Amino acid sequence: MKKLLYAAVLVCSLVLATPALAHSPIMGIGGVFGGVLHALLIPEHGMGLLALGLALGRQQTIVRSSGILIFMAAVKVGLVVTAVIPEQALAADVLLAAAGILGLLVAAAWLPALLCWPLAAIAGVAFALDSRPEVASTEETLRMLIGTGLGGIIALAVVSEGSAFLQGNVSRIVLRVFGSWIAAIAIMDLSLRIVTRLATG
Amino acid sequence: MAPGVASFASRRKISRSLLHPLPLAAMLITSSDALAHSENGAAIDFAGGFTHPIFGPDHVIAMVAVGLWGAFLGVPAIWVLPVVFPLVMAVAGAVGVAGVPLPGVEIGIALSAIALGGMVAFAAKPPLWVAAILVGAFAVFHGHAHGAELPVGADAIAYSMGFVVATGMLHASGIAFGGLSHWPSGRVAVRAAGAVISLIGVAYLVRSI
Repeated sequence: MKKLLYAAVLVCSLVLATPALAHSPIMGIGGVFGGVLHALLIPEHGMGLLALGLALGRQQTIVRSSGILIFMAAVKVGLVVTAVIPEQALAADVLLAAAGILGLLVAAAWLPALLCWPLAAIAGVAFALDSRPEVASTEETLRMLIGTGLGGIIALAVVSEGSAFLQGNVSRIVLRVFGSWIAAIAIMDLSLRIVTRLATG
Repeated sequence: MAPGVASFASRRKISRSLLHPLPLAAMLITSSDALAHSENGAAIDFAGGFTHPIFGPDHVIAMVAVGLWGAFLGVPAIWVLPVVFPLVMAVAGAVGVAGVPLPGVEIGIALSAIALGGMVAFAAKPPLWVAAILVGAFAVFHGHAHGAELPVGADAIAYSMGFVVATGMLHASGIAFGGLSHWPSGRVAVRAAGAVISLIGVAYLVRSI
């Protein structure tokens, strides 16, 4: 009987578990690890990192490494600003716009380094500015911001280095299709955001 | 009565008495909140975006036709057309979301099914740029129709992701079926599918006029 009750409670607990929503605190997970998850679980951030990673993955090693370093520096600057200034209203929009442009470039397979580097800087700053966690404590905020920075940089490095290995014709086609999807999602999301903002004031 | 049987019967009795309230309690506890919905009842989340193109048969046949035609034309059309379509569709969708009117949307959608299905049925092989422009032009109507119907609300990115992924999967299903054109009998099947799509498009055109 007890087993049955335990099973029922377990099932209820599992079913009750809700997905992590955009910018809501991840219940029970804080600190640096919470920040890492924050960087990876927010769709806008994930899409921005994916687009930038795919774009950098198509570059030569030096250009790719430089792009990651530029992103790293931009994230640091952005995180410092985020720690000081709490509200960054348009950061997500800027990150989406950067992701959309990068997606278009990946779809077109036209990725000049001089275009990728500024986009890496813009994406890095916007990513950091949009990453302020909704927690009350300053220490916890700083810990989560550090985690967010680490998570974003590691994710970008993994995606860009991983996509650099995709060299066959089929892989290139898949990357182009992914790029077009990212661009299409960014365009739709941006338009919906702007219209929603205008409609709701 | 054997002890084992008695204990089994008693256990069964207890289980029955417990099992009736337990599912009820579980259902009551696990009933979730109503998520963001638009005024017309469409969910504004990934599932809502994913099902939006799938539940419109006129959109489905046109998107499948894009994949079919791409597969029929071969490389590079097999990926160029499914890349062009969502990009143009998203831009037109943004225009639709903004409330900019586009006349003859339903007619355009019906014509897209007729034309794209016809291209497959007649095994038309125009230059790539012509095919891309044609697909892009029809994507304008599909994108605008979707954009105009889009609910203004929360979780725009999840909705957009679902929408684009569903569109891509419809293209992929068309490409997969179009892959049959490598064999003579499969080629007949693909062209027949194109003809069917075209005929369905005619039915939609008659209805929309």
